[in-house]
Amino acid sequence: MTNSVCVLGAGSTKYGKLNEDIIEIALNAAKGAIDSAGITPKQIQSGYISNVFGVADKQVHMAPVLMSNLGIPEVPGLTIESACGSGSVMFREAYANVKAGFYDCILALGVEKVTHTGTAQSTTLFSYCSDFFYEGGNGASFPGLFASIARAYMTKYKATEEDLAHVAVKNHENGILNPKAHIRKRITVDDVLNSPVVASPLKVFDCCPFSDGASAVILCSEEFAKKSGRPYVKVIGSGRGASPAAVQGREDIATIPSTVAAAKQAYDMAGVKPKDIDFAEVHDCFTIAEIIDVEDLGFFKKGTGAQGAREGETRRDGRIPINPSGGLKSKGHPIGATGIGQVVEVFEQFTGGAGDRRVKDAQIALTHNFGATGASAAVHIFQKV
Amino acid sequence: MQDQPATNTHTRFIESALNGKILTNKCKNCGKIMLETVYYCPSCSKTDFELLEFNGIGNVVTHTIQAVAPEGFEDVDSYAWVVFQVDDAPIRASGFLPGVRLPSELPIGSKVKVTGYDKKHGLSLQKVPEH
Repeated sequence: MTNSVCVLGAGSTKYGKLNEDIIEIALNAAKGAIDSAGITPKQIQSGYISNVFGVADKQVHMAPVLMSNLGIPEVPGLTIESACGSGSVMFREAYANVKAGFYDCILALGVEKVTHTGTAQSTTLFSYCSDFFYEGGNGASFPGLFASIARAYMTKYKATEEDLAHVAVKNHENGILNPKAHIRKRITVDDVLNSPVVASPLKVFDCCPFSDGASAVILCSEEFAKKSGRPYVKVIGSGRGASPAAVQGREDIATIPSTVAAAKQAYDMAGVKPKDIDFAEVHDCFTIAEIIDVEDLGFFKKGTGAQGAREGETRRDGRIPINPSGGLKSKGHPIGATGIGQVVEVFEQFTGGAGDRRVKDAQIALTHNFGATGASAAVHIFQKV
Repeated sequence: MQDQPATNTHTRFIESALNGKILTNKCKNCGKIMLETVYYCPSCSKTDFELLEFNGIGNVVTHTIQAVAPEGFEDVDSYAWVVFQVDDAPIRASGFLPGVRLPSELPIGSKVKVTGYDKKHGLSLQKVPEH
């Protein structure tokens, strides 16, 4: 017999340039999740942490440090790294352990701190997430890798730089309503098109920022959630996928196989189809990523993803709202935290905490997060209780 | 029993690149061709490979020109990072092409060739002039 798995509480720091050290950032999110769940730390049976560049703030082996500072040094934990997809990959492992009955209550926390290293050093650190022998070692940065994907997509489907810009405009509109978003600034298509080139054809406003931040959720069995008497959200689907690590190894550069595989598993497990999803938080590290995501997740046919933002279908009041939180693009991208931050958004949307950015009448939501250029991905589906 | 020890694959790949070649493994069991750095055949999982070199010439599949370069590339004025389809081989490779400033200088489909392997910049490419 396996457990139904639920999200009982959620907490998040602001995303952006933060002054606290990485442990303080993580603890602030942990406290938010614990308080939101109405539990005490003693009820936590394991700590699942996702982080990529702890070494940049002089802290690896973070779980024991966090558990000790939460007053539960006897609670075991671990750290999972899967580049920008670390949070969702960690969430999946925490989910699997509750599902299997090993634990009734887990703290799942993602954290990152990189802004103190500066743009050049951050660019270098991120390049280590690529297949370094073939990519970072040959001079490819992460914006560069996604730019190469954008060029391949635009060549294949005749998409334009303006198509990409609409994604940024839409996500910034949403981010303005998110008090924890890194960049709360309304922008226009012209702002995007006139912003400096980072890696052709991507410009500054096509790219998410480097962010610090942490997000945490309490994952538990449904029995545990029911006993708490607090609002909770049910996890009804979970999927993982993988793609060739290097862009050069992909037959079709305009799709991300890991997303397709993870989505299929999650849809099958949940017994739902793309048309049943009321909103989705997807991995929009660059505008091109969101266009490819919404196709790979089944919301749009291949080659038509750009119409979502351009024609308003992915706005909060559109057919399939995408990234009501502002997404990585506006909310920010503290890479170890991002996948958990998406779950925090779902929890807030379903339990009355999303304020003005609430998606009306939403019952089923999807999160999608990947690592590197989509070499690894996880998709989860949630149901309002 | 494999013909060659699966060690130092990067070194062998680099040695070929220094001669303008792309080194691959051809699976002796199923015939699949893959980059030489792969240890197990993705089709049949066998490890019995024949080394096969291809001329490091091919067509640009996609590329980018970056304004902010990673560490180690700050000394280069402007370059493209390029993915290219290797001629007569079912594989793609990627590398560093110095001297490119604008995307219009490198249309998709342009011919490029491997010129070597730079210790600092990896697989080096050059555009092949059109005749």
